[in-house]
Amino acid sequence: MRVRLATLRYFLVEGWKSAKRNVSLVSLGTMAVSIFVLGVFGLTLMNLNNVNNQLRSGIEIRVYVEDGIEDQNLKALRQQIENTDGVDKVIHISKDEGLDRLAKQLGEKAGLIDILGENPLPDAFDVKVLNADLTSDIASKISDLPYVAGVNFGQEFTEKLLKTTRFVTIGAVGLAVILFGAVTFVVGNTIRLSLAYRAKEIEIMKLVGATDWFITWPFLIEGMIVGFMGSFVSGVCLYIGYRICIGRLGPVVPFIPIISEAGPVIKLCTGLVILGVLMGVFAGGLCTKKYLEI
Amino acid sequence: MLICFYEVSKVYPNGATGLHSVSTSIRNGEFVFLVGPSGAGKTTFLKLLTREITPTRGQVLLNGRNITRLRPNEIPYLRRSVRMIFQDYKLLPNKTVYDNVAFALMVIERPDKQIGPLVNKALDLVGLGNKVHAYPGELSGGEQQRVSIARAIVGAPLVLLADEPTGNLDMETSWDIMELLLRINKGGTTVIMSTHNIAIVDGLKQRVIELDSGRVVRDDEEGVYEGEAGYTSVLSG
Repeated sequence: MRVRLATLRYFLVEGWKSAKRNVSLVSLGTMAVSIFVLGVFGLTLMNLNNVNNQLRSGIEIRVYVEDGIEDQNLKALRQQIENTDGVDKVIHISKDEGLDRLAKQLGEKAGLIDILGENPLPDAFDVKVLNADLTSDIASKISDLPYVAGVNFGQEFTEKLLKTTRFVTIGAVGLAVILFGAVTFVVGNTIRLSLAYRAKEIEIMKLVGATDWFITWPFLIEGMIVGFMGSFVSGVCLYIGYRICIGRLGPVVPFIPIISEAGPVIKLCTGLVILGVLMGVFAGGLCTKKYLEI
Repeated sequence: MLICFYEVSKVYPNGATGLHSVSTSIRNGEFVFLVGPSGAGKTTFLKLLTREITPTRGQVLLNGRNITRLRPNEIPYLRRSVRMIFQDYKLLPNKTVYDNVAFALMVIERPDKQIGPLVNKALDLVGLGNKVHAYPGELSGGEQQRVSIARAIVGAPLVLLADEPTGNLDMETSWDIMELLLRINKGGTTVIMSTHNIAIVDGLKQRVIELDSGRVVRDDEEGVYEGEAGYTSVLSG
């Protein structure tokens, strides 16, 4: 579709005039709050995914071997683990190495080990997997191998984290649908006001042969402007609010890998502004289409 | 034939009959008066030609094309060749005379360089070349109707429909408007005008189609307002 410059100017001028005339602080505020809440959910999800990814990248399966295993069986077991599908790397941790690590972990209380007399730890393997999602399956396969006394990969924690992420994702999607409805309603009301204000003009346009697209464009632009104004305000507030929050929260919980780089947050805020604009266009198009059908 | 109605009936959703089995045709360049009492079907007749409504039964042909079967996106293009004027003028009060007329060309995306000359020509034709900067509120009823006519003819339509265009005007102004419509008709535009104005219909001796209760009850080539059993005699007597 080729649009002439004069026509484009008409669309922009009429869209802007209508937006200026009909947009209210209440409708802008409602839209900004809706997008802001959506943004808060988005940021929470981003951070949960970040924690999830960091933890999952460090996931290892610790395989404990039965005590008193002969060297050749130990080598065979290592070979079998290495041949298991999805295994990236296998590191052998001898009984002595295991004890050294335990002593390091215990720190000042390392003396307690002496009370035990002989080394109670079995030989073990640390197994790195190619895909963290398959950790549970791989661990299950390894646990079925001969001479394996047990496996451990911190499944409870990772599963809980995955569940939480899934829960927040579902919540965010549900909320997005509700807020989408709210924003469509708010922008729709502004557009309906414009349609009522310009009813006579639209009637004449239809009478003299303007196409529905020609009539609709200024309202799409109005929706775009209202959508942009509301979402831009919330995008800026969200960015500033997040910077303040991580500035205060970071030192308090240094062990949680919170996203502190500006890049991903700016991307999210830009995405929200684009979403707001698209919602505005959608609402504008929907209302005008309904109006023209009458 | 420019316009053909074949067995056209229109029943509105509330059960009211707009037209009942109307068959008639209108040649290119004709001037036709539609007369009849209120509710006879005159406005229905005109609205079928602009595809504001579709018939319940029958076909309406314009230049051989069945316009009852037009797709919604084809209707605007029909309305560029079938223009309508109204009793209440339907002008935009916040636009000047010039802008009101230019608006009709701008919204159908005519090139800018064509708009100026066409608008000036149309305004000169209706005798408002000296009032281009005035707003509708500053004009008399007759002048406003002239602007409305200029807006309707500016795109050189095939057919000009006039729904009681003199209904709000005094007799002298009505004659001025009629003179203008006749001039437009002489230029080749087919004019179909619904009216209750006896003097005008009787004075101009043009073709008269009389409708009553949705039926064509009379179709005279050089007719008068009241037929042999005309409803005006019933109303007045």
